[in-house]
Amino acid sequence: MSASKSFLAQDDKITSSQAALVLNNTMLGAGILTLPRSVSETVKTPDSWLSVLLGGLVVMLVVILMVKLSLRFPGKTVYQYTQIVIGRYPGILWCLLLVLYYIAIAGFEIRAMSEVTMFYLLEGTPIWAITIPFIWVGAYLVRGGINAIARVGQIIFPISLFILIVSYLLSLRLFHLDNLRPVLGNGIFPVIQGLKSTVLVYSGCEVVMTLVAKLEQPKQALKAMLVGISIPAGIYFITIIMVIGGLSVDSAVTSTWPTIDLIRSFEVTGFLFERFEFPLMVIWLMQMFCNYSSFFYHSSLGVSQLFNLPYKSVIFALVPVIFLATMVPKNINEVFMLGDDIGYFSILLFILFPVTLTLVALIRSKGGPQHEKS
Amino acid sequence: MLSSIKSHIPGWSVFFQALITLVVPLLIYRIYKALTSLADDKLVSSGGADSSDEEPTHPISASYDANIDEIRNTIGINSDVVIRELTMGDAKVRAALIFVKGMQEDQLLKMEIMRMLRDTEPDHPLPIIERLPTNAAHTISTMEELTKAVLFGYLALMIDGRDEGFLINPPSGPARDITEPVSESLLRGSRIGFTEDINVNTAMLRKQGVTENLQVRSFMVGHTIQKELAILYLDQIVNPDLLREVTGRIEKIKLDFAAESGYIEQMIEDNYLSPFQQTQNTERPDRVIAALLEGRIAILLDGTPFALIVPVTFSMLLQSPEDYFERWMPGSLLRILRFLAAFIALMAPSLYISFISFHPGLIPTELALTIIETRQGVPFPALIEVLILEIAIEILREAGIRLPKPIGPAMGIVGGLVIGEAAVKAGIVSPFLVIVVAVTAISSFSIPMYSAGITLRLLRFVAMLFASILGMFGTILFFLLICCHLSKLKSFGVPYLTPLTPFRWSDWKDFFVRVPIFMMKRRPKLMKTMQNKRR
Repeated sequence: MSASKSFLAQDDKITSSQAALVLNNTMLGAGILTLPRSVSETVKTPDSWLSVLLGGLVVMLVVILMVKLSLRFPGKTVYQYTQIVIGRYPGILWCLLLVLYYIAIAGFEIRAMSEVTMFYLLEGTPIWAITIPFIWVGAYLVRGGINAIARVGQIIFPISLFILIVSYLLSLRLFHLDNLRPVLGNGIFPVIQGLKSTVLVYSGCEVVMTLVAKLEQPKQALKAMLVGISIPAGIYFITIIMVIGGLSVDSAVTSTWPTIDLIRSFEVTGFLFERFEFPLMVIWLMQMFCNYSSFFYHSSLGVSQLFNLPYKSVIFALVPVIFLATMVPKNINEVFMLGDDIGYFSILLFILFPVTLTLVALIRSKGGPQHEKS
Repeated sequence: MLSSIKSHIPGWSVFFQALITLVVPLLIYRIYKALTSLADDKLVSSGGADSSDEEPTHPISASYDANIDEIRNTIGINSDVVIRELTMGDAKVRAALIFVKGMQEDQLLKMEIMRMLRDTEPDHPLPIIERLPTNAAHTISTMEELTKAVLFGYLALMIDGRDEGFLINPPSGPARDITEPVSESLLRGSRIGFTEDINVNTAMLRKQGVTENLQVRSFMVGHTIQKELAILYLDQIVNPDLLREVTGRIEKIKLDFAAESGYIEQMIEDNYLSPFQQTQNTERPDRVIAALLEGRIAILLDGTPFALIVPVTFSMLLQSPEDYFERWMPGSLLRILRFLAAFIALMAPSLYISFISFHPGLIPTELALTIIETRQGVPFPALIEVLILEIAIEILREAGIRLPKPIGPAMGIVGGLVIGEAAVKAGIVSPFLVIVVAVTAISSFSIPMYSAGITLRLLRFVAMLFASILGMFGTILFFLLICCHLSKLKSFGVPYLTPLTPFRWSDWKDFFVRVPIFMMKRRPKLMKTMQNKRR
């Protein structure tokens, strides 16, 4: 029907709190279920929480760099300004890499989600029956643009946070401080080594480079993005403390989904649910949904801006691509291998990409104040 | 390297599934597009045709006979049209009063007018319109206007030698008394409800208190049969953009006849494919005034006691005026209770299905055992079991509306008890399900807006389908789908889920919790009102 343009006219912009939330939702994905295992595998000491904190700090620095870079090109997303900085074709090539990376993460997240679902909720259900409807609902959301994604995130994230905190509080009865000792027993080296596996859980923070362009008030960009990155960093930190403290390093390494196992390992009698893994699963499915939609959005936006295609048609075109990306790993071990590969790949994109772009932009003096005027 | 890539290329079945993944949304999108373009047709194409063929107008001539003949030929064939001819004064000037029986109840007025006309001399210094003993009279010059007005209920006067007619006294047909609103009764609060007469309704709103800012603007809607429609708003509070949008949409309405404000609602809503209502309907003047004070706009239609309020947000559908009349703590409690009830009304049966048929392990073991024990004799899957009882309850509820008042409640109780008890005894459903369905039904009654309750009833069945296919996962998907839809939906430019999202902390004062009135100092931000402070 007639669109109401006049009242509350909005081009697809988001407030800074919404942007922080989208960034947060983009990072809080499957990571929280596997993080304690993947980090502990490399660190092998109870110091993995230090790796997570350190990783968060490194990522924050990179995010600051990305925000500064994006602010040089107001209103332009990474897909648009890369072409200005390093030329049309190299720019397209580089951004395509980014799009592929987003699609791979989206596929990975959906796959992880369906593996969890098949393991705990729907045993024996074919995997396509779980992934396809999930992708469809996501496509419906992504059609609404960044605003719709931010709003759904705003509904779901408080619920997730609440349930998560309640679950962790209840798991305090299993918590033994001894499991977290000794601190730095093997020196700082394992912590540094663990950094590369913590990076995976922060992968996705590249979306900062598109989110800044969508802000209503770009001046608050840095603050919003730092808030957006601190929330997941804090949640990861608490998760790893609770899981390692509750399960000890040895059992965290052997379990596939250590966080769920922690919540499964105690019962609350006399309550509606005796075990809390059920509410945790429910909210985590919803959180994964937000997470995957964000990647879906950013990849469709990328394709549409790189090739000047209509955004809404790109979504349809990407639906089967994401499905194929989901189906590529043959079993759960390959899913985790893919996750690790994404992590390494993200180091490349994360550090190399913004640093080189900033350097080139500075050398060729593209963007910045003079760009704003022209 | 190459071989490992090769081994990861999925099989044909996966590519086929990918194709399905693509085709289904495309199909749905095509259907959706086709359906929305239907709505555009309804608004635009039917508009162009009828403006061109305007009928030729007949001016009222100076000849009395010609005029009366004309009237007799056009509307005189109606048995309820009365043409009362009389002569004026000593000069024997002929005149006629024309009216429709039953539309002019005021006998005294007619007598007075006739006495005045009889005594009038043609050369009286004052014009006749000033001497008519009534407060409403004006002249008209075309025959069409005159006949239309007479049929609408005006009293018309024609005098020989004048090429104009007089319309006296607007219609005062039979009207219903003002009664308590049936669909929104309250324990505490005014007992007044709108009636079918638009003038009485606007008067009721004016009587709510003295203000210069309450503005009423009239429109005529309908092509074959016209009806009066009024937009009410508080000047200096309402956002002018919103006002322009609402008037724009109302002017665009192409309708044969607007029987009820539901017609208007369906013509001006944003998205006709959404199950959620995008205007609020109410019988309560206090509700309308409260909405106007928040910067909203009310639409009143003649002939219906239901006013429309736009724009509407989801939280409004779960609010009741009583929340404000009672002290803030019970008010807040009841409101939170209603949110809970809405959730139960929407989700309870689907949760039952997903727990019973997919994940009995997720509920406490003793409870699961008890339920499964009682379900032992039930031959159906959970979905069919729930459907049987849900449909029975819905039929019972629908029938309950039509039952004569004295036996209605009795039938409801007896029907419910008998169906529940007997169905359990007969082994069709389990007793636990009877509890679930009963709680669901009661919850859906606790929603203050009847139309919002219908929406939840409708969606409940969709949720049950999702749950029966994919269990808990399906239920979550359904919830996500509703969230996605609601966060995309807008009512007259206002996001449907505000203040939940877009998040406006200041508007949360009147959301789950109704904070004390002295703390609600500002009008809702989402309405972008001209005057922000409440006092």
